Amino acid sequence: MKKISTFLFLALFMCWGLSIHAQNTTIKGKVTDATNGEALIGVTVSIKGTTSGTQTDVNGAFSINAPATATLVFSYIGYASQEAPAGNGQAPLEIKLGAQARELQQVVVVGYGVQRKRDVTGSIGNVSGSTITRQVANTPTQALQGQVAGVQVISSGQPNSTPQLRIRGTGSLLAGVNPLYVVDGVLTSDIRNINNNDIVSVDVLKDGSAAIYGVRGANGVVIITTKKGKKGPPVISYDANLGLQEAAKTIQMANRQQYTAYQTDVNAGSLSADKSPLTYPGSTNWYDAVLRKSFEMDHNISVSGGGDNNTYFLSASYLDDDGIVKTNGYKRFTLRANNEVQLTKKLKFSEQLSLTRSVENPIDAVSIFSNVYRAAPLVIPQDDNGLYGNTSAWGNVGNPLLQLNKINNFTSTNRVQGNVALDYDIIPELRFHTAFNVDGNWDNQRNYLTQFAADGSTFTTGGGNQYQNNSSLFIQQDNLYNFNWDNTLTYDKRFDKHHVTGLVGYTSEKNRFSFINATRLNVPNNSDQWYLDLGDPSLATSISNNGDKYTRQSVLARVNYDYAGKYLITGSFRRDGSSKFAQKWGNFYTVGGGWVISEEDFMKDQKIFNYLKLRASYGQLGNDNIASSLYIVTGTPNLPYYFNGQLVEGNAIQQIKDPNLKWETTNQLDIGFEYAFLNNRLTGEADYYKKKVNDALINVSIPAILGSSSLTYTTNAASFQNQGFEFALKWADKIGTKFSYYASANININHNKLIGLNGGQYLPGGGINGQYVTRTDNGQPIASYYVLNAIGVFQNQAEVNAAPANSLGEANHVGGLRYADTNGDGKIDANDRIYAGSYQPKYYGGFNLGVKYSAFDLSTDFYYNWGNKIYNGNKNAKGDLRDNIDADFADNRFTTANPSTSVPNVITSNTPPSTYFIESGAFLRLNNLTLGYTLPADVLKRIAISKLRVFLTAQNLLTITGYSGISPELTPPNTNVTAVNAATVGGVAASSASILTSGIDQAVYPVVRTFSFGVNVTF
Amino acid sequence: MKKIFNIKFMALVAVFTVMIIAVNACKNYLDVPPQGQITAQQIIKDPVQAANLVTGIYNVFYVGGFDPDIESLQYVFMTDVASDDADKGSSPTDDGDAIQIDNLTTTPSNGTINLVWTGYYQGIGRANQAIGVLQNAQFDATTKNKLIGEARFLRAWFYFNMVRFFGGVPLLDHVPTAAESNQDQYQTRASADDIYKLIIGDLDFAVANLPEKGSTDVGRATKGAAEALEAKVYLYQKNYQKAYDLSEAVITGGKYSLVKDYSLIWRENAVNGDGGINNAESIFEIQAGINQDCSSGVNLYVVSQGPRAGGKFGWSDLGFGFNNPSQSLVNDYEATDARKNGTIIFIKPTGTVLFDGFRIPGQDSVQNSTYSYKAYHSRTAERNCGGNTDHLPKQLRLLRYGEVLLINAEAAFQLGKTGDATTDLAALRTRAGLVATPPTGINLSSIWHEHRMEMAEEHDRFFDLVRQDGVQPGRAAAAFAADGGKVWKATNALFPIPQQQIDLSGGRLKQNPGY
Repeated sequence: MKKISTFLFLALFMCWGLSIHAQNTTIKGKVTDATNGEALIGVTVSIKGTTSGTQTDVNGAFSINAPATATLVFSYIGYASQEAPAGNGQAPLEIKLGAQARELQQVVVVGYGVQRKRDVTGSIGNVSGSTITRQVANTPTQALQGQVAGVQVISSGQPNSTPQLRIRGTGSLLAGVNPLYVVDGVLTSDIRNINNNDIVSVDVLKDGSAAIYGVRGANGVVIITTKKGKKGPPVISYDANLGLQEAAKTIQMANRQQYTAYQTDVNAGSLSADKSPLTYPGSTNWYDAVLRKSFEMDHNISVSGGGDNNTYFLSASYLDDDGIVKTNGYKRFTLRANNEVQLTKKLKFSEQLSLTRSVENPIDAVSIFSNVYRAAPLVIPQDDNGLYGNTSAWGNVGNPLLQLNKINNFTSTNRVQGNVALDYDIIPELRFHTAFNVDGNWDNQRNYLTQFAADGSTFTTGGGNQYQNNSSLFIQQDNLYNFNWDNTLTYDKRFDKHHVTGLVGYTSEKNRFSFINATRLNVPNNSDQWYLDLGDPSLATSISNNGDKYTRQSVLARVNYDYAGKYLITGSFRRDGSSKFAQKWGNFYTVGGGWVISEEDFMKDQKIFNYLKLRASYGQLGNDNIASSLYIVTGTPNLPYYFNGQLVEGNAIQQIKDPNLKWETTNQLDIGFEYAFLNNRLTGEADYYKKKVNDALINVSIPAILGSSSLTYTTNAASFQNQGFEFALKWADKIGTKFSYYASANININHNKLIGLNGGQYLPGGGINGQYVTRTDNGQPIASYYVLNAIGVFQNQAEVNAAPANSLGEANHVGGLRYADTNGDGKIDANDRIYAGSYQPKYYGGFNLGVKYSAFDLSTDFYYNWGNKIYNGNKNAKGDLRDNIDADFADNRFTTANPSTSVPNVITSNTPPSTYFIESGAFLRLNNLTLGYTLPADVLKRIAISKLRVFLTAQNLLTITGYSGISPELTPPNTNVTAVNAATVGGVAASSASILTSGIDQAVYPVVRTFSFGVNVTF
Repeated sequence: MKKIFNIKFMALVAVFTVMIIAVNACKNYLDVPPQGQITAQQIIKDPVQAANLVTGIYNVFYVGGFDPDIESLQYVFMTDVASDDADKGSSPTDDGDAIQIDNLTTTPSNGTINLVWTGYYQGIGRANQAIGVLQNAQFDATTKNKLIGEARFLRAWFYFNMVRFFGGVPLLDHVPTAAESNQDQYQTRASADDIYKLIIGDLDFAVANLPEKGSTDVGRATKGAAEALEAKVYLYQKNYQKAYDLSEAVITGGKYSLVKDYSLIWRENAVNGDGGINNAESIFEIQAGINQDCSSGVNLYVVSQGPRAGGKFGWSDLGFGFNNPSQSLVNDYEATDARKNGTIIFIKPTGTVLFDGFRIPGQDSVQNSTYSYKAYHSRTAERNCGGNTDHLPKQLRLLRYGEVLLINAEAAFQLGKTGDATTDLAALRTRAGLVATPPTGINLSSIWHEHRMEMAEEHDRFFDLVRQDGVQPGRAAAAFAADGGKVWKATNALFPIPQQQIDLSGGRLKQNPGY
């Protein structure tokens, strides 16, 4: 600790050294935006003809000592400068500056503080709350899609699913790849509790600037700031939309005729069973059987305002998303109260608190959509008597509609998130801030499996293996409680042309989690009796309870310095301690510099650039997002055995652990340009980055002789690199007084590769038909497909006879796939596999267009993703020859009448993974199209409404893709149904399995298309 | 300036407060023990936990199925399916690894051999952990040596199977330290002789320190079990004197006797005091039961060998249908041998009714025509865990008195004590409903024939054939030729070392010849 204290004191002494500065009359005032009245932060206030001056604080307020006769100059980038007489200081000055271009005067949240965007030396994306709420999306993460260069969002239509967010590529296998979310100071990995309408801005720290979050910053940081009240009379807002949802796309499967033709060809024996009542003359589209059109609605109401000493913002929202799969559904209710009270001139109390309750009826999407894909079209889903078609008696898959109807899943979540904080201005330049942030989550999960037999009481005909002999009730309760306590001292001082901001802080954090669950059988089928006590205690039951606890502790510091708004320097340091490792402490830092070229004298006379900045940063960040005691060898208790017929519980020690396990380290370089030209109509940024992850955790396979039950050893062995460019561009202009428009676009070009395994073995991922599909190895992108190279279809027996024998799966046959003998050894085996792309996109981004004419507004948001590949696991993973096939496959497959050269006659459970199943994952989607109309103000005045806008919006209206599956956007399955929800709530990383298999399409929830109508009303 | 001084003072106080919190908290704030787990450190210090480590070794018998395997499906593949006693079963294409094994074409990348290699080293690892911790545990010497004896008996069991499958394997007689674990000493194969030395050392210790049956808990390894296993080990070593002495010790010890009705040996319940679990004949037996989470039995052992519908529906079948007794085995029974119907479930055209009254439908609803009766566990008349059939509590009889008689007979015959051999076989043959003396008289062939009939489907045949081939070359080739004309090569006597393990050793493990 000695080092830290020295550092802290040094930082403080440095601050004090600069603090003596006082003369003349004190003149106070406030600078606001002339158009919207918002406080302007960091406005330069100088005394004309001198070099002395100050800046406005976060409330837009300033205080300056000047002679009464002086003239004050207020200047702010993007605003017209303004002059005002200083006066005698008795009345505060109220200065309103007219805006020129909004993009550059934004304030961004940089972690434990805010900065003007123009002073920032790192790469930080900023999205306003209004952009978020334009989307019909349940989570802010989903609404970020396509809005920020370098931020990839992979989301699913499944209600209450967690969208995956990748900032500048994938950089970890075991420690999680999602960013850290910071909601008003609360550190979390799950923001599904946040009401989009409560958000004022989302800032994304993409580069080394995330180092202020140290060991949690490696995947980037997304900072969400919620709304606060403003001084003035109460403003009441009501925002709502009501929409109709449907699946944007389903797969066209073979119908009865196509299916029977296929069966006749490959599995003729099966058709002898094609008779009533097992099958029916019709043709079932199983997607239609389980999907539906459904409603969604979203209501928000908020009240905000403030007096001289306080501001308030209160809101409530209700969201109801029925989901497009039968029995699915999600409802969320949120309350928020954000208050600030100025207790004394120097002391401010504030709190931000949200309460969320959500209720979900989850479904097991993977199982349902796998069965939907495979079920035969000959079987009726359910007949008029309520009896189900027996697909399992036909073809060994369960009837997915019955599966939905016989399971009742219910999960409720209560979450409290927020903070209380005190701010004390020790001197005007030095502020002490302490905030206690809490995040509590209480889940109740109840899954009921209804008893049914595989006989005539359930099915049109008995038999098969879909049955539930005993009804079963599973109950789980999760408790999660995290706090982090932040203490910071911020120093902000301007003298002459120098501007210094210093920050020192100390934080501590504790996370606790526990769950308890139990199962009982034979619970009556009545929701009022779905309690464990009603189950049969004599039958097999289970009960389970466990938990987790981990802590972190940190000291942090940051210095920003700028000279004359031209030369910018930033440095930050964080020393983090984490209970997850034996070596607990690590140091993380960033240094950055910026040069605002447009402020140079030689740029004064040119008219092209309004603003031009070159910036660069380099930082070291960490990732400790792994299970809590991965370095400690633990026993496996309660291993049952019987002596004298009595149950005894043994234990075993069967782990091999790395006692020196530590965090993953990411070094990131970023070089960027920011610019505005053509009279601020064209603004943008361009960045180059190189992000290298060292000491990445991987599971190394170890010889079985060591007796480890997992056969693996987790250690810091791998390294990854993500390197690329990002460009963002925006054009905004007005034509006349009624017409304005904007167009913006962004792109990220990323190259991902695994640099080294350092003695670790390559990682196989995803199993189909007994072979793995992806391989993560030196020099290749993460989870590259590593499969046989399919080079056509055998046309005749002569070709089969001449071909190398296939020892990896099915034997060569006419109509079968033929594979390249890559190594030329005369046989087809595992050594002939090749790398064939990965799910990592080469390019992704978005573009957005908007026009406003008079009272009408129209906006569109596009998202695209190019250069990635998808492994169509649905097609490859055949359980049985009776499985249904794509209609397209049925039409084009090899037959003697139609000897296709590219499509085989049949894919069986022995067909090995090959390039035949790899498809392009590129797509372009119109995420959002909105048309709005704002009613004329004079009409509204009479009914006491200050603003009323109505709009029509379509979400996911159009997707252009060549991918034949249900969606090119693949998300890991929602685990809510059976698994502990801790992984997503508690900050523990997604398993490596999902990263290694993320490009393998095996039954995903369809993308949802929504048409909705909405209103925005302000009173 | 006074004001500024005050401000400085206050700032100092604030910073001090923060620092004090930080410094105090640093001491132990970050030392968070694992939640809900027992650490290895805690186990090592606690005698109760040390004893529980021994129980943990027995528990390893429950692993298996399609995971690392000790006595379950993969082991069955490598013992019965590999031999002439059984065909692979299930559907014709089901399980490519087993197809290779059945056809004597096992390749180094075969998954089964890797699962068995892995399972056995888990067992060895658990035994070594227990032996290591027990050395320092606070027990009286008798208790301590008894527990160590059990652990060493089990370790001998694991190594005996390993050496018979693979020949010499890496020899780990303690838990290697992190520094040791990558050393050549452990990453290379020891000789088969060294493995046998370890086995015999372990069993000598076990014989000396384990109590007799009746003086210890039912289910624990006993002196008798150690003697029986050591007799078997010596038979494989062709040390007939030791094999004879040790088997004789079991026989004359009087603790064991034959079950009267052969078919009751593998049943759960005794009939009129005869047979059932832990019966008079059982010397060492995997214990199983019903616990809350249905985890107390060998995983998938029963269900993987259960009769299979295989797409021929109309009934809820009993399993995956692996390990079908072969025609070669059926042909070898003498006409009235009661053991045939005690060993094999024959699927009859009109349906087959089992001992518990369960009726398997006729041949057109069943995939295969024979199944192992010894692996059958009744869903109605025996213990069951709800509908969970993965861990049905079948208690595998790993060593039984009948086998000791066969060891004794063969050893005696080799030592010229034909009288003893005659007595041993008479006991078994009489029980089987046959004339006391084999029709061809007492000779190696008739003893080996008796061995096959007595031990069929008890996962011994492959080892025994290889052993017999070592005594009388040509036996194995003839036996496989009679089993559908399979071609036996001398190199088939050992399975290949799993390629994955060779790779993980960095090539230091060397492959067996012929692969």
